[in-house]
Amino acid sequence: MTTEFERGHAYVVDRGEIQLRYGQGMAAGLGVIMRHFRDAFTKKLTNPSETSGMFTVQYPEERLTLPDAFRNFPILLYDDESGQELCTSCFQCERICPPQVIHITQEKDPNTGKPVPAAAEFLIEYDACMSCGLCAEVCPFEAIKMDHEFELSTDEHGGLTIDKAGLDRPVSYYEQIAPSFWAEARDNAYKKLQNAVKRRSGLIGIAPQVAEKLKATQVIEQPSVADEGQTTKDEGSTPADDKASRLAAIRARNAAKQAETNGTTDAAPQPTAPADDKAARLAAIRARNAARKTDANGVAEGAPQPTAPADDKAARLAAIRAANTAKKAAEEPRIERQEPAQAPQPADDKAARLAAIRAANAAKKVAQIEGDAHDHSPNGTNGTK
Amino acid sequence: MLKTEELQINIGPQHPSTHGVFRLIATVDGETVVDLKPVFGYLHRNHEQLAEVSTYIQCMPYTDRLDYFNSMANNFALAVAVEKLAGIEVPERANYIRVLMAELTRIQNHAAAIGFLINDMGAWQTPLAFGMREREKILDLFEMASGARMMCNYFRFGGVWRDLPPEFMPELKQLMQGLPSFFDEFERLLRDNEILRVRSIGVGTLPREVALLYSVTGPLLRASGIAYDIRKAEPYSVYDQLDFDVPIGSVGDVYDRFLVRIEEMRQSYRIVQQVIERLPQTSGEHINPAFADIGKQKALRPPTGDAYGRVESPKGELGFYLVSDGSPRPYRYKVRAPSFINLTPLGDMCRGHKVADIVVILGSIDIVLGEVDR
Repeated sequence: MTTEFERGHAYVVDRGEIQLRYGQGMAAGLGVIMRHFRDAFTKKLTNPSETSGMFTVQYPEERLTLPDAFRNFPILLYDDESGQELCTSCFQCERICPPQVIHITQEKDPNTGKPVPAAAEFLIEYDACMSCGLCAEVCPFEAIKMDHEFELSTDEHGGLTIDKAGLDRPVSYYEQIAPSFWAEARDNAYKKLQNAVKRRSGLIGIAPQVAEKLKATQVIEQPSVADEGQTTKDEGSTPADDKASRLAAIRARNAAKQAETNGTTDAAPQPTAPADDKAARLAAIRARNAARKTDANGVAEGAPQPTAPADDKAARLAAIRAANTAKKAAEEPRIERQEPAQAPQPADDKAARLAAIRAANAAKKVAQIEGDAHDHSPNGTNGTK
Repeated sequence: MLKTEELQINIGPQHPSTHGVFRLIATVDGETVVDLKPVFGYLHRNHEQLAEVSTYIQCMPYTDRLDYFNSMANNFALAVAVEKLAGIEVPERANYIRVLMAELTRIQNHAAAIGFLINDMGAWQTPLAFGMREREKILDLFEMASGARMMCNYFRFGGVWRDLPPEFMPELKQLMQGLPSFFDEFERLLRDNEILRVRSIGVGTLPREVALLYSVTGPLLRASGIAYDIRKAEPYSVYDQLDFDVPIGSVGDVYDRFLVRIEEMRQSYRIVQQVIERLPQTSGEHINPAFADIGKQKALRPPTGDAYGRVESPKGELGFYLVSDGSPRPYRYKVRAPSFINLTPLGDMCRGHKVADIVVILGSIDIVLGEVDR
C-alpha cells in the first residue's frame, strides 16, 4: 500500500531476505563491535561527525566546558564593589516559580517601616527546584541567574534550603561563567540597580558577605556609632542600667581571660548584651567555649565571635577598649575573674560542666559588683542611654 | 495428554526490563502467555491537576517531565495547543527552529529506543551504547540552545526561548556529517543478525485493524501498515513546506517497528537538512515580538473556549486538550499521551507468545513511564 502526500509519499520498509547465513550476520556484527572496541582505546572522539572512538569524559578529573545557557540552580547577584544586591524583592520569580520554592521577605526601612526595594530574606529550596530557569527569565532586574555549579550533594536535607548568604554571588562570578548572557544583561542590570540603591540606606540590600566586612570596618571608623546601635537595639528588653552592668561584666571577664592567656594581642570581646537572666549562663557557656578553644590551639583566640574581625587591627582595638572598660569598671573582683579562665581545662564533659558553673557564678558576682560600681564609672556604652 | 495448569506471574513493578515502574500480570500456560494485563499508575505525578492550578507558562517545564526522552516534542505540543487556543502567530524562523529541535528529538529518541529494544533482546548494552553516543551529541546541542540536556523547557508561546547560539550551527553541521554512516552501521549491525531476526520476526504482531481499534499511533501504527503521520495528516508548524516520506511496515511485528524507526531517523535527517538550508533565509525572530517578554507569557489569558493541539511526537500522537475559562490558568488540561495508548494493546500483542517475548514486545512499543502515568 502506498499513499501519496503533498510532499512525499508513504513507502513500505524493505524487510529484506537474510543474506548471510550460518551466523555470518552475527560475525559481521561482531566485527563492527570489535572495531568500535578498538577505537574506544586508541582514538579520541574529537568532533560530532565521528562515530567511533572514546567519547566518555573521565569526570571528575576531566570536565566538559558548559555552554553559557547551562542552568542548574538559581543564584542571586550582587555588585562586586558596593555589595549592593541586584534583587529588589519584586516577587516576580516567586510568582512564576512552578513548584513554588522561592520565598522572599521584603526589607523594611527601620525608621519609617516602609518597604525598601531590597530583600530581607531570600530562600530557595534547592531540593524541590526543577531548574526550569523561569525565575531567571522573568527577573526584570537581572538579579536572579542560573548557576553552573552542580555538585551540591549533601547528607542533610535541610542543607538544601539556601538563604541569601548562600545564594549571593558577585556579578564577576556570573560574568565568568556566562559571559554572553551577562553582556546582554549588564546595562539593564546596572541602570535598574542605581534606581534601587537610591531608595536603600545603611546596610540594607548589601550582600551578607560584604555587609560583614563593612560592619567590621565601621567599628574602626566610628566606634561610638557602632556601640550606640548595639545599645539602642537592646534597650527595649531590659533596663539600661542592668544591661550595661552585664555588658561590663562580660567585657571584664573577657579582658581577664585575655590577661590570663597572653595579654593584649588578640581576643576581640563581642559586645553582645544578654537581654535577660539567662545572661550569666550564656556568659558561662561562652567562657567555656573560649577556654576550650584556647586549650585546643594553645594560642588565645579570644571570645567566640559570630562575626570575625576584619583584621588584626580592629580586633586589637576592640580588645584594648574592652580591657580599659574592664579595668575601670571592676578593680575588685579579680579573683573571681580569674576563676573562669583558670578552671576550664576540660578533660571531659564533667570538667566542662563544672567550668561552666564556675564561670556562671563568677559572671554573676561580677555583675553584682558592677551594678553597684557602674554609676561611678562612666564608659562609652553607658553614655548613650 | 498432560494436564497443565495456568499460572499467574507478576513482572514488575520493580524490574529492569519494564522501562520504569510498571507491572505486568501475565497468565502463563507453561512458557506461553495466555493473557497479559498491564498495570500502570505507579509513577502518577498529578500532572494534569497540577497544570490546572498553574498558569500556562508554568505548565511548560512540567511537560518536560512527561516523556523525559523528548522534552522538546512535549514542549512543542503544549505550545501548539496554547497558540491555537489564544490565536498566537509564530514567526517563520521560530517555526523552523522548532521543527529542527523536534526532528533532532526524534533521531535521538529512536536511536535510544532501538538500543533499548536490542538491549531487551539480550544484546546487553553494546548496541545501546552506540545509540546513546549519538544521542549524547544531540543532547549537547540541546544543552547549548536551551541550557538543559533533557528538561529543555525551550519553547515559549509564539516561539522559542532564545535564538540558536552562534556555536550551534557549526556543531550541528558536523553532527549531520556523521549521522548517515551511523544509521547505516546501526542498521547493518542489527538487520542481518540471526538472533535479532529470530526474536523479532513474527513476534508481537499487531494487525492493522487491531491497531486502529486501540487508536495506536506513531511508529507502532505505521509499522502495522497505516500511513498515518500527523505531520502529513494535519500539518502543523512548517511541516507542509518540508519534503519527507512516511515509512510504513507490512506485517506489524517487532521487526517492522525496528525498521520503521531506522527509516524515520533517515527521514528526520532529511528534514533537518532542509531546515539547515532554509534557516538563514527565514523571516522573523525566534519569537513573536508581542510575546518576547515573558511577562506577556505569564499574563496570558486565552479567550474562553477549547482547543486541541497535537504533534507527531517520536512516540506517536501527543495532544493537549485545553479548556479556557478566560482566566490565566487552564480550566481543563488533558494530555493525550502516546505511550499510554500504545501500551494498551500489549496484552493482545503478547498473547500466544513466550514469556521471554513479553519484554521484547514491550521494548518495541517504546514507552516512557513518565508519560504513561503522568
